[in-house]
Amino acid sequence: MNIFPENVSTYGQEIDNLFWLIFAFVAIAFVISLFVLLYPLIKYNRKAAPKAEYITGEKRKHFKWVVVALVLLLGSDFVILYCEHDAWGQIESVPAKADVKVGIIARQWNWIFVYPGPDGILNTADDVIVDDMNSSLHVPINKNVVFELRSQDVIHSFFLANARFKQDVLPGRTVVRWFNLTKEGKYDISCTQICGVLHSKMRNFVMVESEDKYKHYIDSLYTANGRKTAMK
Amino acid sequence: MDATLHKQSFWSKYIFSTDHKVIGMQYAIMGIIMAGVGGFLAYVFRYNLAYPNASIPLFGHLSATQYNAFVTCHGMIMVFWVGMPVLLSALGNLLIPLMIGTDDMAFPTVNMLSFWIFFLSAVVLLASFFVPGGAFGGGWTMYPPFSAGGYVNHNPHFFTALFSGVSLMILAVALELVAMLMGGINFVVTTINKRTKGMTAFRVPIVVWFINIASVIFMFSVGPLVAGAFMLLFDNILGTGFYDPARGGDPMLWEHLFWFFGHPEVYVLLLPALGVLAEILPVFARKPLFGYKPIIYMALVSAVLSVLVWAHHQFVAGIDPRMATFFSIGTILISIPFAGIFLSFMATLWKGSIKFSVPMMWVLGFIGLFLIGGLTGLFLGSNTFDIYAHDTYFVVAHFHYTLFPDIFFGFFAAIYYWFPKFTGKSLNAGLGKLHFWLTFFAFNVTWFVLFFNGLAGQHRRINDYSDFSLIMREPYITFEKIATISAIILILSQFIFLYNLFTSLAKAKKGVKNPWESNTLEWVADSPPPHGNFQTYPVVYHGPYEYSLPGEGADFLPQNVQGKNDTNNVTQNNYEHKTATSFATHK
Ligand SMILES: [Cu+2]
Ligand SMILES: [Cu+2]
Repeated sequence: MNIFPENVSTYGQEIDNLFWLIFAFVAIAFVISLFVLLYPLIKYNRKAAPKAEYITGEKRKHFKWVVVALVLLLGSDFVILYCEHDAWGQIESVPAKADVKVGIIARQWNWIFVYPGPDGILNTADDVIVDDMNSSLHVPINKNVVFELRSQDVIHSFFLANARFKQDVLPGRTVVRWFNLTKEGKYDISCTQICGVLHSKMRNFVMVESEDKYKHYIDSLYTANGRKTAMK
Repeated sequence: MDATLHKQSFWSKYIFSTDHKVIGMQYAIMGIIMAGVGGFLAYVFRYNLAYPNASIPLFGHLSATQYNAFVTCHGMIMVFWVGMPVLLSALGNLLIPLMIGTDDMAFPTVNMLSFWIFFLSAVVLLASFFVPGGAFGGGWTMYPPFSAGGYVNHNPHFFTALFSGVSLMILAVALELVAMLMGGINFVVTTINKRTKGMTAFRVPIVVWFINIASVIFMFSVGPLVAGAFMLLFDNILGTGFYDPARGGDPMLWEHLFWFFGHPEVYVLLLPALGVLAEILPVFARKPLFGYKPIIYMALVSAVLSVLVWAHHQFVAGIDPRMATFFSIGTILISIPFAGIFLSFMATLWKGSIKFSVPMMWVLGFIGLFLIGGLTGLFLGSNTFDIYAHDTYFVVAHFHYTLFPDIFFGFFAAIYYWFPKFTGKSLNAGLGKLHFWLTFFAFNVTWFVLFFNGLAGQHRRINDYSDFSLIMREPYITFEKIATISAIILILSQFIFLYNLFTSLAKAKKGVKNPWESNTLEWVADSPPPHGNFQTYPVVYHGPYEYSLPGEGADFLPQNVQGKNDTNNVTQNNYEHKTATSFATHK
């Protein structure tokens, strides 16, 4: 059994790897600490050791053990920091080449998706806005999808567990992020920032499709919005 | 100076008392009552999580609005109305004057005022459940613009806005902070000015040091939050727009103000409890505290660092990604002094002669649980892993593994240890051990399984997961049930404690002065100490942890007893004891 949900993004594996790297450090530290805590409880309990030794711990030869442990801890912390640095930069910055652009707007209590119109440019008059609880976000497989996150009312948070991606959406700001999803299917989008009574129901899906299917979906949007597009 | 003689009416003795011990107990009792409220809320929403839409015994059906309000108030209450009064106010009031060898706080009337403002704040908070719309349900972090009006009450009138759940909660928090501020000033002034003869800075017990450091951290970080809270209140009742971008504000401002206080607050809660550990460990290991001075220095370093890490709560909030590394490094650095303090505590056990008394068991349980809490913090201090884990049950489990031992194990350790001093009676040890083991196991079962739910992507503050395929599968559904059943056992176990408390209080006073054979000054006073504490002020000859000192007859050497190595020439305080005579005029 995998403790994480299935990963379907290009950068998700780095998050999982990071978890196991930290887990290795934590496991070692836990076992050592547990020994340091439990061993004296057996070895130096009142029955086994009726007389305590007078050690203030302020002498260098005693306190050095604490210092050694702290240096090791600090060292492993910085190893972790070093190892995670690339992944952070990758997830939190947008790649130079954006294959697809899309707008995601949070509103109490749904996600609204904005696709560029036939001109291919987002935030122009011919954009197609899909504001419907039952319509998922359609994206093509293995493409860099760059999205602009906005909120119309309160703070929400866009969470796609299968991509290991999360981003708070504060009203008044636009955050640009990206993902590249590598497996066709339907994945939960949830809101992870409490946003009101139907916060629990603020769920939608990402639909990862083949290039053809995706094109077909976008075309169907254009036809449905035919008149609006023509007016441009 | 016979303090027991002067007559006081019931009101001035137990209700509007200026005696630090009575005020300390008032804080402790209020903390226990509020813990009951917070625990009941937890029971209700945990039941709902395991059995969605079921009718909850002792409550009934829980709506989504109520769920949100209950989760919010549970967090609020446990931090501000249980952790703070119990760890900072109760311990600070009960212990500081006795441990530094004086009669009372520097400002007894301010102290009384502090408690009554605190009491008022609790009343205001509880009242918010009964206003139209009910208590606020936007999370204990109260992020605007959700909490900033308009979305809670559409187009409200002034009074409707004022008597809304959100406004009352803001007011209650602001009042609570004012009360704590008064207490904090009192602790610091008392410790600096009223130490008895010979009680130099480095002879002051760790718990007094730590309560003082916690107070200073609190005073340093609380200002921006109080200001921020009033801005939030104005957004609600006056229609300003400090946090609402629709009216020219920015919600990120609140996030910064909140966490600039919110993170240091963690240490405000942690330090006094660590102080309790430092007092109890040497007594039951019969060995000096390992590294008394380094522990103080490490706490001072952590106090400075504590105000430099707040934005690690905002890694995914949209702050500049480059800023995250700075706050990650800060978070790593601040874990070091605390790891050092815990290691020193564990080192105290080595080559000791350990007695598993009830207070000692709570202390050891505390260290064990905090080990898990601290180490899981390593995952979250990493800004990259936090992208995934933020606002999932992994975070919730992590902070329960730190705050639960901190608040409850710390408090229970303190109660079982100091109960004989403040009542002259003793708690039943068998029931104490039963209470400990049930609490320890039930807590672990409840929260350990939820780490896995978090890793599976379960996000928090959701009353109904039926829409989420990642959560609505095994073993996570079963884990929810296990957590709930075990949480109910955890809550029920606390009745053992209450039973023990009341039956012990009903017993006759024995008045044993120093049952654990401890060194600190509170054990020199009578049990319970009379108003004014000491018949004659004790004189201090050495530090607080002289256990098993070779060459002494007994394996402990109270601070007021001159040891073979102590000079007759007691180090003079810069601050001569001024209150020795002023107490006489008090009666
Ligand atoms: Cu939302
Ligand atoms: Cu923090």
